[in-house]
Amino acid sequence: MMITYLIVLFAVTLVYFASAERLTTYVHLVGLQGLLLCGIALFELKEVDTANLAFIVSETLAFKTILIPYLLTRIIKRSGVSKVHRQAMPGFYLLLFSILALLISVLLASSLRNPFINTIYMTIAIYTLFTGMLLIVTHRLIISHLIGFLIVENSVFIFSLAVGSSMPMLINIGILLDIFVGVLILGFFGLRLKPHTNELTRLKD
Amino acid sequence: MSLLLFFITSAFMSISIIMFRNKTITRIITSGFALLHIWFTVHSWSNLNNTDMVYFTYNSSGVLLLSVLSLLIIPTVYHGFIYASGDDLKKYNIYHAGLVALVTFMSGAYLANGMTVLWIFVEATTLAVAALIYHDRTETALEATWKYVFICSTGIALAYLGILFLGFIYGRGDASSLSFRSLSGLIDRADPLYLKIAFVFVMIGFSTKMGLFPMHTVTIDAHSVAPPPVSALISTALMNVGFLAIFRVYTLFSFSPILPFMNSVLIIAGLLSLLVAAGYMLKAKHLKRMLAYSSLENMGLVAIAVGIGGEAWYAAFLLIVLHSLAKSSLFFQMGQLSRILGTFRLDDAGRYMKLYPAGALVLLAGVFCILAIPPSGLFITEFLVFKEMVYTDRWLVLIPSIILLCFVIYAMSTRIMHVIFSDPRSPEIILPQEKVNPAETISQFVFLGIVVLFCFYQPPFLVDLINETFALLPK
Repeated sequence: MMITYLIVLFAVTLVYFASAERLTTYVHLVGLQGLLLCGIALFELKEVDTANLAFIVSETLAFKTILIPYLLTRIIKRSGVSKVHRQAMPGFYLLLFSILALLISVLLASSLRNPFINTIYMTIAIYTLFTGMLLIVTHRLIISHLIGFLIVENSVFIFSLAVGSSMPMLINIGILLDIFVGVLILGFFGLRLKPHTNELTRLKD
Repeated sequence: MSLLLFFITSAFMSISIIMFRNKTITRIITSGFALLHIWFTVHSWSNLNNTDMVYFTYNSSGVLLLSVLSLLIIPTVYHGFIYASGDDLKKYNIYHAGLVALVTFMSGAYLANGMTVLWIFVEATTLAVAALIYHDRTETALEATWKYVFICSTGIALAYLGILFLGFIYGRGDASSLSFRSLSGLIDRADPLYLKIAFVFVMIGFSTKMGLFPMHTVTIDAHSVAPPPVSALISTALMNVGFLAIFRVYTLFSFSPILPFMNSVLIIAGLLSLLVAAGYMLKAKHLKRMLAYSSLENMGLVAIAVGIGGEAWYAAFLLIVLHSLAKSSLFFQMGQLSRILGTFRLDDAGRYMKLYPAGALVLLAGVFCILAIPPSGLFITEFLVFKEMVYTDRWLVLIPSIILLCFVIYAMSTRIMHVIFSDPRSPEIILPQEKVNPAETISQFVFLGIVVLFCFYQPPFLVDLINETFALLPK
């Protein structure tokens, strides 16, 4: 029951992503999603041995809840950009698309019924994937693309949690992706890109 | 255990390059690694179809592409020494350590016998390539690296989703349960919708490595700024990694009801790749970008060949092998061209035959080979693909393919001829006159010679190996 609450709360953060305009709100939402995923992992992975569960939970806390939001905050401070609305689709339309994505997710999940995955998991995971993609496609700021990618990655994490009890190594591999994103993309490149760089257009035909 | 030895030695060598702060030692270690890789390839041939360390198998397709990588490694290392010779020690060492890591990761990906291990090695190649593309530390290098890492990461995440969908089919077990062998027994009982979703995710994800539409942009930008020896490797051996990953999933699902769906997806992706390649090559103004679009065109043809089936499967593998040799020669030559002309821009390039005849001959022969003009061995591959299209009445694929290839031939040949024989279009350009030893082109002539030889003679051992790669596919 608790897991259902957490998953629904996770879905609410996704709707909020569509309507938010401030980058700091995005960062708070990314951190909150990390915390919720940590809770979901804790309640969902009952069959996993304690050491592995401790590793998964601590990784989720360290990377998704602390390190990634911290790095994002640093990148935002360096770039000096606080709002996304000038270089993105207006929030109202994005919200409409987001709701449409939720409806499609419900339909898709109900047609993809499987004994190994709960339908509600499937719905929210697909919705998370759509939201991440929507953010990447409709926004023009690099930082928004990054956040979109982080949401896609959270979608992958939810999918892996769904089969995590019986296949814990799939979660461990998902964690590799976390480290990859947190350390390389955000830590190295995110901080190296010039502060005023919003678009990358030097390389073209 | 030999594989473990190879991995440990490679890791040790890569770390040693960073630790020892001496260019001569770096050169010795990197050369030693090239020899180690050749030994490992010979070992793989003698252990064909054996499993090593549970997660790796010396299967025919993996050994074939590992052999291609071994062929490429000596000229790549040699041209890398020349390219990086003027760099400071830190850059020099990072370049070579990255190269050793990339070749090791690619070798692991070729031999992986399960989805998860394959995915890990493909992910690891992104790290190594990022270090190599960023070599020059310029703004454009940062932009290209950023785009490469970002798009590859998205692709990797999507490919992982595909693997998770395979996990939903299986439901329970450890990493070894996602091996191709154990999955093959479950596929016929799996929900076709799940298989379709898994295939689409895996194909889009690994397309970032294969350079196939719609994820092709990532490799095009990477080629613009990557050092030429690195371009030679990522437009051949790394693209082969992406191809092999997709081909493995294709083989796995080929006995399920979704085979026609997979064929259609591959043919559509291939045709769109050809369309994009032809369109952009017609307006290409940067020589390395043009070669990158040529890789897109060839990978498009490979995807179409796999989708067509029959004799085209053989053609697909032969095309992969010969494309690797011809394209790497052209990219190696680009390194020399930039030293002589000081540019990759088409408007500023010209008179190459006069300035560097050996290099101009490589360009001339290379463009004939890559465009599949006889006596190029690639001609045989394209001929087989088109023949199979005629046999299977796929006129709607054949006609646009031929038209688009005509555009590619026109665009590429006119541009290369301009570089070789014409004066630069920008009159104020003063060409730098760095002397380049003609002996540097030897490896390029050898590769192009092999490509031509294949038009007349294909060694039986290689034919057998290629035939074995698709022996598991339905006839």
